[in-house]
Amino acid sequence: MEKFHSESIGATNVENLQFNVPIRRMRRTLLGTVPVESPLYSFHPVTRFFSLILLGVAPLFIDTPELNVLWIMLILLLMIYGRVDMSRLKIYVPLIFTVALFMFSIAILLPGEDPTYIPFKFMGITIYYQRIFWALVSYVRVMALLFGSIQYFLTNRETDMLVSLQTLKVPFPVTYFVGLSIRGADMFMQDMKTIREAERARGLDEGSLAFKDRAKLYAMYMIPLFTLAIRRADEIGNALFVRGYTFAGEVLGGGKRTSTVMNLYQFKVRDTFLCALQVGLFVTMAILQLKFSQFRIDHSPLNAYFLSILT
Amino acid sequence: MTEREVLIEASNLHYVYPDGTLALRAIDLQIRTGEFIAFVGQNGSGKTTLAKCLTALFKPSLGTVTIEGLNTSMRGVTKNIALKVGYVFQNPDHQIFNDTVRKEIAYGPKNIGLPEKEVAERVEEAAAVAGIGEHLYTTHPFFLPKGLRQRVAIASILAMRPHTIFVDEPTTGQDNLQSLEVMNFLKELWEEGHTIVIITHEMPIVAMYAERVIVMGVGQILLDGSTRDIFSQPEILAQTYVKPPQITRFAQELSSYGIPRDVLSVPEMLEAFMRARPKGMAINS
Amino acid sequence: MAPIIVLNNLFWQYEGQEDFALREICLKIEESSFTSIIGPNEAGKTTLVSCIRGLIPRSYHGILRGSIEVLGKNIADKTELELAKEIGFVFADPEAQFTAMTVLEELAFGMENIGFSLNEIKERLEWVTEMTNIQDLLDKSPFEISGGQKQRITIASMLALKPKIFILDEPTSMLDPLGKDQIINILTTLKEQEAMTLIVVEHNIEQIAPLSDQIVLMADGKVLKSDSPQDFFCDIEPLERLGIAVPHITSFASNLLDLGLYEPPLPLTIEQAIGPCRLILEQRGRE
Repeated sequence: MEKFHSESIGATNVENLQFNVPIRRMRRTLLGTVPVESPLYSFHPVTRFFSLILLGVAPLFIDTPELNVLWIMLILLLMIYGRVDMSRLKIYVPLIFTVALFMFSIAILLPGEDPTYIPFKFMGITIYYQRIFWALVSYVRVMALLFGSIQYFLTNRETDMLVSLQTLKVPFPVTYFVGLSIRGADMFMQDMKTIREAERARGLDEGSLAFKDRAKLYAMYMIPLFTLAIRRADEIGNALFVRGYTFAGEVLGGGKRTSTVMNLYQFKVRDTFLCALQVGLFVTMAILQLKFSQFRIDHSPLNAYFLSILT
Repeated sequence: MTEREVLIEASNLHYVYPDGTLALRAIDLQIRTGEFIAFVGQNGSGKTTLAKCLTALFKPSLGTVTIEGLNTSMRGVTKNIALKVGYVFQNPDHQIFNDTVRKEIAYGPKNIGLPEKEVAERVEEAAAVAGIGEHLYTTHPFFLPKGLRQRVAIASILAMRPHTIFVDEPTTGQDNLQSLEVMNFLKELWEEGHTIVIITHEMPIVAMYAERVIVMGVGQILLDGSTRDIFSQPEILAQTYVKPPQITRFAQELSSYGIPRDVLSVPEMLEAFMRARPKGMAINS
Repeated sequence: MAPIIVLNNLFWQYEGQEDFALREICLKIEESSFTSIIGPNEAGKTTLVSCIRGLIPRSYHGILRGSIEVLGKNIADKTELELAKEIGFVFADPEAQFTAMTVLEELAFGMENIGFSLNEIKERLEWVTEMTNIQDLLDKSPFEISGGQKQRITIASMLALKPKIFILDEPTSMLDPLGKDQIINILTTLKEQEAMTLIVVEHNIEQIAPLSDQIVLMADGKVLKSDSPQDFFCDIEPLERLGIAVPHITSFASNLLDLGLYEPPLPLTIEQAIGPCRLILEQRGRE
């Protein structure tokens, strides 16, 4: 039984693969995949949208790194509960390392001057404690924000997003515009794939290019992308015209616009409760930090511990 | 008679997309000098994926593809392979990167690092072969009609002087005359010694131009043979939703009267029909 | 029965172009008929059907002369609402016509724009998904369906508006043979079951001709010929000179007709030709 060497799906026995049946049953979305079934789907899209606001924004209020790490762990648990394909997170690993490298390097190499900074030596280099701890704070916070957003996009389809916007009474032309942008982004990505193949067919070996040439290359993509976009814009415009769509989204026959898709979802009692809970939590955290400074570094046990060692 | 040289060879070729879907299974295939081949099969059967593997646009997940001796799984072979095999995409807009026709045709040779003088030579040569007049050299390709844009795309591949040219759907969206024009052009290239492979859904075109047909279905080669052989097996073709041309199907309906099952054109059918008629029947004039 | 569409001396010139894209077009289309429009590219076929739908002159700049009357009223006097409800339009590219996030939303979009109630929309959805056989696809997003499926959904979304006139501009040109067959099947069903007036622009003459009541040939902005299929293919040679892909079977029978072996009408399908050809092959010699 031979292993095959495809980078992204790992060692798998090719013989067991069935034609046109993906290994994991997932639904494709613009940014990746979402599970076919998930306990999270029983919640209204608005409830899940609020989770994006809470989980993906609230870490801005938290300085203490321990709390943000806990935050991240909760998010990971939520994703596991939601039946997310956790192997999808592998693509974020390079990002996680790069950001860490960048932030900590800056903290070490460009500490700035502040008389309150406590220096210590590590492997022969002088590092300023407060600077590096602050780098840790920022890094963990960025990761918490990132994961807070990722969990939303790995458990929600585009239609969920638009339904939540419609439920929140965002005007139809705006939500339709968002939808059209998503569709446009998808077509854009498909075109990019083909254009890159076409480049390879003309002898372009991207891997062997110098950095400045690669930058020029991306500028060159503009020509085919714009050509395709212009031609498509015309077609899409005509398609909208024949469906009676006007720029302002008015209803031709007068009256209020029906939203067929919104009627597929029910807002249950637990949705009301969860939305209230999430909004309440968000506001509470904001107040606790902005008014009462509850999440500042001085409340961090880790910080206290390190300081006690150094002084 | 000596066997023609093998240009492109696939051996136990498998291809799996990044999401884990299997697209090609255990493909063994040889493409020889001077062939005119058509890849047919329903959408999703793997014909385009196979073509892209055979032109090194995709690397095999398992098995190998060699193009004139070069293994496509190796690194750094892109430039060399572009000199041996070309791929023309269905939509010319995907493969036009420059703002003048001349720059566009010169793009490939420049990428592989040829000297200026040779680039200019190749541009002139390719444009002449593709029927692109010098007066068009400074035109922006966006403003050319589709047929001409397709020729510019083909010319830019010809500038690499590949032995084999793959063309994805040369006739889609074209009217009859335009289709015949581009196909006759490909036929001229073939007569000059190029190996031509087309991916297409248009069976009448296959009947008129291809000498060998590879029928793809469910990621495998269902049939591989001469055009006549292939179209004589409609039951297998049906598995991948391919139908022989109308006149061929008609001939097959009348095969019990001695009409051959591999008729490819109306004149051929007429001839076969007249031969199959009972002798001595008067013809009204 | 009065014709449902009347084009009278229609001229159209796109802004910035020297030539007229449509010249002296005089055409009548009967209600509930199936009209196919064929001809080389750039002949003006898309321009013509765009005029009938009102896309021209509303979405394009240029000079329009002559008149287009649909259901007894001049197109210029019709409201957007009337046009959207009366005339459906399907283009060639399935991708550009699918702008919603799920099939259901795409199907409902046109109806929501017109202002139908939720109950009305639900009823029409049920009817249209059954007719085009897309019940399993309702929940899918555009990333999960093929081009052929998208085209069926586009047709369904137009049908849901229950237009009296349904225009399709090269609906099968970007589809594989299976996709083409599915569209032809839907058109066949529409012709047989609904009283819709169908206008189809196509290069795929082999499959469209047998369905047609009238075939219109266009070239260079003019209508060269407009006949029933049997009469249309009476004289094959000028058609072939124009580059029209005459169905093989029709061309073959036309040759036999010239030899005095075949009696008109000329066949448009294999089924129509089989009987007569078998007879010819089975006839004893007159000895």
